[in-house]
Amino acid sequence: MIKVDEKNIAWSSDMTIATLLEQMEDVEFCSVIRLNGKLVSSPKFKEVKIPDNSNIQLLPLVAGG
Amino acid sequence: MGQVSLSEVKSTSYERSEVKKGYTDKSLHINVGSNDIRIHSIEEKIKEKFIGGKGYDLWLLWNSVKGTTKWNDPENAICISSGPLGGTPGYPGGGKSIVTTISPLTCAPIDSNVGGYFGPYKKFSGFDVIEINGKAKEDIVILIDGIEQEIKIFEAKDLPKDSYELSNELTTYFDEKKPVNVSVVTSGPGAEHTNFGCLNFTWFDAGRKIVRYKQAGRGGVGTVFADKKIKAVVARYGAVSMKSNNPADLDGLKVVTKSHAKEINELDPKQNRMALVGTTHLVPIMNDHDCLPVNNFKFGSHPGGKLIGEEVYEHIFDKGFDGCWRGCTVACAHGVKDFTPMTGPYKGKKVFVDGPEYETVAGCGSNLGIFDAYTILELNFYCDAYGVDTISVGTSIAFIMECFENKIITIEHTGGLDLSFGNRKNALELVHQMAEGNGFGVIVGKGIRQMKDFFAKEYGADRAFLQDIGMESKGLEFSEYMTKESLAQQGGYGLSLKGAQHDEAWLIFLDMVHNFMPTFENKAEALHWFPMFRTWFSLCGLCKLPWNDIVPEDNKNTSEPAKVEKHINWYAQFFSTVTGRKVSPEDLIPMSEAVYNFQRIFNLKMGLGTREHDTLPYRSMGPVTIEEYESRASRYDTQLKEKYTIDISNMETKDKVALLRQKREEQYELLKDAVYKRRGWTQKGIPTVETVKRLGIDFPEVLEVLKQNNVV
Ligand code: SF4
Repeated sequence: MIKVDEKNIAWSSDMTIATLLEQMEDVEFCSVIRLNGKLVSSPKFKEVKIPDNSNIQLLPLVAGG
Repeated sequence: MGQVSLSEVKSTSYERSEVKKGYTDKSLHINVGSNDIRIHSIEEKIKEKFIGGKGYDLWLLWNSVKGTTKWNDPENAICISSGPLGGTPGYPGGGKSIVTTISPLTCAPIDSNVGGYFGPYKKFSGFDVIEINGKAKEDIVILIDGIEQEIKIFEAKDLPKDSYELSNELTTYFDEKKPVNVSVVTSGPGAEHTNFGCLNFTWFDAGRKIVRYKQAGRGGVGTVFADKKIKAVVARYGAVSMKSNNPADLDGLKVVTKSHAKEINELDPKQNRMALVGTTHLVPIMNDHDCLPVNNFKFGSHPGGKLIGEEVYEHIFDKGFDGCWRGCTVACAHGVKDFTPMTGPYKGKKVFVDGPEYETVAGCGSNLGIFDAYTILELNFYCDAYGVDTISVGTSIAFIMECFENKIITIEHTGGLDLSFGNRKNALELVHQMAEGNGFGVIVGKGIRQMKDFFAKEYGADRAFLQDIGMESKGLEFSEYMTKESLAQQGGYGLSLKGAQHDEAWLIFLDMVHNFMPTFENKAEALHWFPMFRTWFSLCGLCKLPWNDIVPEDNKNTSEPAKVEKHINWYAQFFSTVTGRKVSPEDLIPMSEAVYNFQRIFNLKMGLGTREHDTLPYRSMGPVTIEEYESRASRYDTQLKEKYTIDISNMETKDKVALLRQKREEQYELLKDAVYKRRGWTQKGIPTVETVKRLGIDFPEVLEVLKQNNVV
């Protein structure tokens, strides 16, 4: 089980951030997430695997700077 | 301590104007050449059109200078304003100062938006804006004392040279018992010897019991200050509350302030965690998206990026409240306690470093090939203490390092310094030389535009290559984003009024990552509204960060998520409740448009401000060298094949570089056409008479400048 924005989601061993987002709705603006406190950006979504029991936060669009 | 020796040369008592609905309706004018001090009323029509803040600065500056005025002429003025909303405790970002002058780098008006308490203290002391012109003969300190209702000019001797110590000394000198009542503006020795001097604006950190500062960094405002022999301008004022602005609707103001502050408190921990890491979260994000400048903007990422981002600085930053304005819940102005420099006059001593922010990390770190968090801290500390802009310093040294690696300059020129990328010790040495006014640092301190000329003339360097890799536009060094893959951000830099600074239009993510603006027209639209919102914050005396760095959770479901409509609504309420002038969210853009167009015409008055000045170095658009192309070959090959349908199978890299360049330069010119059209400008980039009439800035002197440029 993993937590995404405080909601429980079933975990699978080959889960990447990209595959996680594919199964979620309303995430088209998500280009950065926090995986267990560390920032991961969209170019890495396909390669970064999610460990079981992870805590994930989806960050909103990055518009500042 | 105890070095301060001030002798009063002029003192004027005044009656402090009551602040009404965010305004004092008074301006203070000080000529440091004649020691003349005057107080003027601000006309209602100027207030209505220019709003305050940067608008007031520009109006006073326009009236102070001629089209032929140079930055170091006595009539050039330094204007410092707050805005009607500035000085609202608890409203996130509610206390900025805006500094404006004719820049030594760009020869046009430059504006810088800065934290610290000076702007609000000056306003509550009775002045919406101050204008300082003339040139003093001896070093001076100016005091605006809103408690005693006195303005004083002192001749100063034997003051500490650097801003770090000087800020401390003057804070104690002017109110030892209540240092929180004092805010000091200073520069430093680097500002005397370079064209990119900055100003440090202080506040007294009551929690840590130390003086802190933020920088008005860009465009050499500190250089103008130093040239006038001003060592410091000090504002002194007492307690500040929500009532200080005497708002039209205090209850309404409390409600909107609480709403915005509460949202930030709740959402920042779930989003960028700026209260913990400042803007250093941007380092890994930019690195992953190939937007973090590395080695003079050649590349956009580096494995060492992870050593200089939030993961490291979160542990180095001192814990505690870090708002550069009272009660700002974003509280992103972090610093490092007990840092011990390895070089320079503070070698071996413990100091507090204010920063670093993202720009400093990227400018004095990755862009120099330096991936050491502590070297970046030391560069940050000395740049501030010496009064030089970390962005211009970083980008200029990056340029120098690339010139060195290309053998355009050698150790013969640099006085023996190896300036290869990554040379931490010598990057620091250059900064010390800038402060001392000796060695190769003096040449670097002239800024990239002048260095390009100098290297071409004196060293026979290839001018075209220098133009391609020298990252400045309009004379201002680029801030720290890699824009090669974002045409809108290229426009954000090249089509900005003051030069290559991202604060006007930061579109890189909205364009490149979120793909919000696929067409020229979409990009032109964004290059219209984004700068207008950012301008509005500087008119009102606010910080830009709380607008869109932390966004409501349901923002993505709104019709225009990029505008963060809920916050724009709050800003309209904020303005209405303080000033009593009822505005809707739709009114904010037209308020800014008048000042924005006025500033463009101001550039024109100074002999600039036309299409040919909106140019960019090619490095910001695409790969200049074969090395750069080949480092991202699959991306560029794909674009040539798929976007431009070109058969590249038998092409050498140098031909592909040339072809891509031709395409990208064409795109940028097309973008200019679309943006000028959207902004109501001619294809030469000049506002039309119809535009200035629509905006109500058709003053005779404005029309005269247009006429001189054949716009009738
Ligand atoms: S958001 Fe950060 S920079 Fe802006 S006022 Fe608040 S603390 Fe200062």
